[in-house]
Amino acid sequence: MSEVRGGVDEAAPAPEVVVTGAAGWLGQNLVRALVGRRQRVRCLVHRVEDGPLLQLLGREVEIVVGDVRDPAAVSRLFDGLGAATVFHAASVIHPAGKVRELFDVNVGGTEIVLDRARSSGAGRFLHVSSNSPFGANEAPTDRFTEDSPFNPYLGYGRSKLEAEQLVQRGHDRGDVSAVILRPPWFYGPFQPARQSTFFSAIRKGRFPVIGDGSQQRSMVFTGNLVDALLAAEVAPGAPGQAYWIADARPYELREIVATVRQALEEEGLPVSGRGLRLPALAGTVAAGLDGALQAQGRYVQPLHVLGELKDTIACDIGKARRELGWEPATELLGGMRTSIRWCLDRGMQL
Amino acid sequence: MRTLDTEILVIGSGAGGASTAARLAAAGRQVVVVEEGPWVDPDAIEPFSLEEMVAKYRHHGSSAALGNPPIAYAEGRCVGGSTEVNSGLWHRLPPALAEEWRRTYQIEAFTPDVLDGYAELIEADQGVSYVPAAPPTSSALLERGATKLGWRSVEFPRVFRYDAAGRGTKQTMARTLVPKAVAAGSTIMPGCRVLKLVGRGSRITGARCRATRPDGTPEDLLVRAEHVFVCGGAIQSPALLQRSGIRRGIGGGLKLHPTIKIAARFPHPVDHDDVPMHRITEFAPNLTIGGSASRRAHVALALADSGALDPEALADWEHVSVYYAAIRSEGAGRVVAVPGVASPLVTYRLTEADVSRLARGLVHLGEALLAAGATELVPSVIGAPTVRRVEELAPWWDAVTRTQSNLMTVHLTSSIRMGETRDRTGTDSFGRVWGYENLRVNDASLLPDAPGVNPQAAIMTIAARNAEQFLAST
Repeated sequence: MSEVRGGVDEAAPAPEVVVTGAAGWLGQNLVRALVGRRQRVRCLVHRVEDGPLLQLLGREVEIVVGDVRDPAAVSRLFDGLGAATVFHAASVIHPAGKVRELFDVNVGGTEIVLDRARSSGAGRFLHVSSNSPFGANEAPTDRFTEDSPFNPYLGYGRSKLEAEQLVQRGHDRGDVSAVILRPPWFYGPFQPARQSTFFSAIRKGRFPVIGDGSQQRSMVFTGNLVDALLAAEVAPGAPGQAYWIADARPYELREIVATVRQALEEEGLPVSGRGLRLPALAGTVAAGLDGALQAQGRYVQPLHVLGELKDTIACDIGKARRELGWEPATELLGGMRTSIRWCLDRGMQL
Repeated sequence: MRTLDTEILVIGSGAGGASTAARLAAAGRQVVVVEEGPWVDPDAIEPFSLEEMVAKYRHHGSSAALGNPPIAYAEGRCVGGSTEVNSGLWHRLPPALAEEWRRTYQIEAFTPDVLDGYAELIEADQGVSYVPAAPPTSSALLERGATKLGWRSVEFPRVFRYDAAGRGTKQTMARTLVPKAVAAGSTIMPGCRVLKLVGRGSRITGARCRATRPDGTPEDLLVRAEHVFVCGGAIQSPALLQRSGIRRGIGGGLKLHPTIKIAARFPHPVDHDDVPMHRITEFAPNLTIGGSASRRAHVALALADSGALDPEALADWEHVSVYYAAIRSEGAGRVVAVPGVASPLVTYRLTEADVSRLARGLVHLGEALLAAGATELVPSVIGAPTVRRVEELAPWWDAVTRTQSNLMTVHLTSSIRMGETRDRTGTDSFGRVWGYENLRVNDASLLPDAPGVNPQAAIMTIAARNAEQFLAST
């Protein structure tokens, strides 16, 4: 489906869409951006209690409760739809204790969703990947581009890499028309508990900055990522391509911490004057322990997070800017203030 | 001790050994082939029968790679090796994989062109063909399930020749290359196990063997040779080298295709004489779906793997057929010769991604079989629910665990590996063992990784290539 706009062959937004992981951090933001603009927003949610609140957003929201690993549930997700756009955002990043879940959901779930997208004749397939198939940059000033070699980081990185390969295979053999988006560390409304812990730790002076804090991280405000997904849905040259999606520039870790402190203060929350510094070795030890445990099938979230904090994980979004006609509208301070307000509005203690 | 002299000693008569012996003999070289297992008339025993297991398999069919979970495996042990007992499915080494191996292990003269050249010759010589008439029901069911779901499936050619009446005969080594080697002047000695290679420094001078006299009594034998080819397969070859004191780069890195099964009941009888030649390739190369031998004993075994064999379930066993999902595994294993024990210790470690892939394969396989009309699915997983509808498949994800899954394999490779990267290989690009002038390996152990497909074509192609290189250089 395509129409001509100003001489550029651009696909129109599909009236019907499928969102997997609809109750997740990205999914909640995405569904809100779709409501009011599409005729049907078919949402896969894992837990029955996640359905009603999404349902309240609009009559076009249709809830399917089920496991993305369940072929019957995913069949129901696509039932009766035609050329729907598929936003595949269901994924596990921090499994509850066992590494295996990363592969079951991120690889197995993707394979089943791809299969049903193909058999239902879906339109564009927007696959939400990650920075993790690429590991870390060598130097703080290095940037990942779409040409960087794969170098997956532990279980999550390997699972997201295999998922990307399935999506690419599906595109290359004509099963789906797929676009892969690679966002790094999120921030934004509907954040999970771990991000609230991150805010509290900074507020109380307990967030560990490893080394001198000059390591750089790309982050993405969820609203910026939603904009990129909607742009990738219609951009003419996007199918078959992968894109890094992040804020306009990477930030040094110490800048991220300073900005969150500023955002907390500007939202009226007193911030401790203390800061927690750890030597670079702490990150290396944590990464080593995390790797050893994951090899035994075990996953310990604090170790994993600490192990990654030592690294520069930064990307260049030039290709997405050029080819998707997308520009990240929100920058760090504004996005962090929005996130903090979202927490406070829900009565969370930070 | 009796002594025998030859120019070339080939140890093992399977896909690797028979290919080697036939080529060298045709070039006029003097070849002795020793085979641990017996000569069994290929026409005497029904394929895939219990008698076949007893006569042609090592340990009558039951070996296991230890680990969590252990993986049962089967090896042929007879003249012709595993080509006597396998399904004969023929699949050339995928060019992309050959290219990856060439780069990773710096294998010389290993381009798709070179390999395809040998493959074509072998195919013409052996007879590789498709089933001339309609495929058997067990195979057609796979295709039907795939078509219903919109999945890709392929009929694989097999090393078969068909007579005018359409009756097919598998072209095993005992029917083809072993007689060819003998016709060209080679000697084949069944019932002759090599205990140890002997030599001095970088030269092997021969092999100490335990042979069997015509009257069945054992006899110690020394076979002296100028060149030795070890072709015992991915388990026996590294074990023999280790027993002979050759350990560097030998025995580690064992690869296999872990396989999980389903016994599927249909509302109609399914044929049990042949093994399905169709595969569902929708999820290849990491996952392939196919059919297994499904004689009564296989059906019983598959049903028993679920942990709760209902005696009545076997009453209409003709309605049941066994299918599998096989994965390419990230894990690896090890072969270790144990002093004083004939069989080596084999271990294999599956990764978490592997276990997940097996669960994924089981769910896909279940879906395909239901689409093909199966009414009841019993997976080879202890405690996993029997499934009758697609809605019941999802619990299998969590039922497949390391402790509850019964896994097996028939493809074992990569325990020695060839290539110029000395830290990761046991031989050079053509199978010559590092540190030895006249000792070569020429079998499945050389494949640097599991091929994701039936390995017989890759083994025979590589063996032919290495034999030609030997002839050109020696």
